[in-house]
Amino acid sequence: MPQEVQISVNERAFIQEALKEQIRLDGRAFDAFRPLELTFGDEYGVADVQLGKTRIIARISADVTTPLPERKFDGVFQIMTEFSPMASPAFEVGRPTNAEVILSRILEKAIRRSNALDTESLCIIAGLKCFALRADLHVIDHDGGLIDAACIAVMAALQHFRRPDVLVEGEKATVLSVRERDPIPLSILHQPLCVTFSYFEEGELFLVDANLAEEQVRDGEVIVTMNRHGEVCQIAKYGGATVEPYALFNCTNVALQKVKEISKVIQTKLDDDAKRRNAGGLLAELSAENDRPYDRPVG
Amino acid sequence: MAPEAVLSHLNRADGSATYTHNGYCIIGAVNGPIEVLRRDEIPEEATVEVNVRPAVGVGSPKERHLETLLHNTLRSIILTRSIPRTLVQITLQVRSLPDEESSTGVSTSLTLLPHLLHTALLALLSALIPLSTTVTAVLIALHSTKDSKAPAQLVSPTANELLRAKPIRSVHVFAFSGEGKMLLNESDGAFSYEEWDEAAESAEEVCCKKDGGVGLGEGMEVDGREGQNLEDWLRNVVRTKVAYEQRWKSAK
Repeated sequence: MPQEVQISVNERAFIQEALKEQIRLDGRAFDAFRPLELTFGDEYGVADVQLGKTRIIARISADVTTPLPERKFDGVFQIMTEFSPMASPAFEVGRPTNAEVILSRILEKAIRRSNALDTESLCIIAGLKCFALRADLHVIDHDGGLIDAACIAVMAALQHFRRPDVLVEGEKATVLSVRERDPIPLSILHQPLCVTFSYFEEGELFLVDANLAEEQVRDGEVIVTMNRHGEVCQIAKYGGATVEPYALFNCTNVALQKVKEISKVIQTKLDDDAKRRNAGGLLAELSAENDRPYDRPVG
Repeated sequence: MAPEAVLSHLNRADGSATYTHNGYCIIGAVNGPIEVLRRDEIPEEATVEVNVRPAVGVGSPKERHLETLLHNTLRSIILTRSIPRTLVQITLQVRSLPDEESSTGVSTSLTLLPHLLHTALLALLSALIPLSTTVTAVLIALHSTKDSKAPAQLVSPTANELLRAKPIRSVHVFAFSGEGKMLLNESDGAFSYEEWDEAAESAEEVCCKKDGGVGLGEGMEVDGREGQNLEDWLRNVVRTKVAYEQRWKSAK
């Protein structure tokens, strides 16, 4: 498999010198994200995220299986990340690269382990039947910032997804098709989003949302995952650069602001999509869901 | 409906295409000619690698089977001898399938095959890989009708049409080169030689019959346009692409 093209010594020096003079190659501010575009397809649970030149498609699908014997009351939720040569010729099918392993580990920590999705709500009959949800991530175009874009894609797709309703009569469960009963949204407890900080100059300055060239030049990275309420879900640091402990406080502050902005974008897009689907204004009548008195459970 | 295609829209890959037809949406990317692994290197030819990635889940034997079929067909049209000791890497990502896809009762790999072939070809054209000819493919389904003994033909049916025409007796995929030579045939179900011959004839008409051929579906004429065969469609796509790339020449 061909190697990833290494950035040349000249280019590396150029980027570093420019950064010393407070200039980024694409003219962004140090703490600015690239333009974020989010589109939903006709199907439920497909989110197409474009972050600058990076493009990721997340697709959620549901199946019915038996729950794990040690977790009888929980459904199954899996995030599958497999890179294809479409994103870069260096990605080989069936042989995960470092970037792929880190991406799946971060998403695991950020979304699955932070309980963003209430897996208990996926249980149909305890110990017998539950929904198995899987999120497939397709990296279509790769220009850095995969972790941030992937997290946005998965969270947007999860909020967009509707699972089929089920009818339980004793030991018998029937999955109702879309025509019989309107599908219901998943219960999302909070929306964690990742913000990656790239460190340069021995930890002297940091960039938000580095592109591929900047990623190749950086000394280290700090990935902060938090939700818009300011709760930190995880912090991970990769690479050799030393980072001052106090700098991390700064990171979380910047991250909070970014996460709030991104959450707002996702919410507007979701609302727009809901409006588009609800053309006749009849969806509320079709819904079999109970009204929830509050958005987010306390705690 | 004629298929829709967007060419060269990805930044990273050397060539790319998104193809949408009858509810199938496939993104194709081509990298090449690039460095090839030592063990895959062929001294006098280019190595062709095809990856088919399903919309949901990881690749299964079905995808491997499709990859083999695509590999053999594309290898015969790529001028592999003019770019020896290199790799042409073709990735086809299925983005969406029609809703009724799984319930039509016919082999899902056959219904997908023509769309994959078209996407691969468009991506190869976009990457400017040397090709000896073009390829167009079509799906023909034969289903029994009440009034006649002979099966009726469905040319390039949608998943919904297949569902309504149940039971389908047999499905056939034919691919033709630009010169009208048959490059690929895959059939599934029970059929006689005469039926196959008839299907092959109508497939040829849809793919590459010169003027006066029956168009791809009668829907085209409803739109007030001439019946158009797949080869004309392909020429149109390439014409648009070339016109776009040469716009600096015509601009004043």
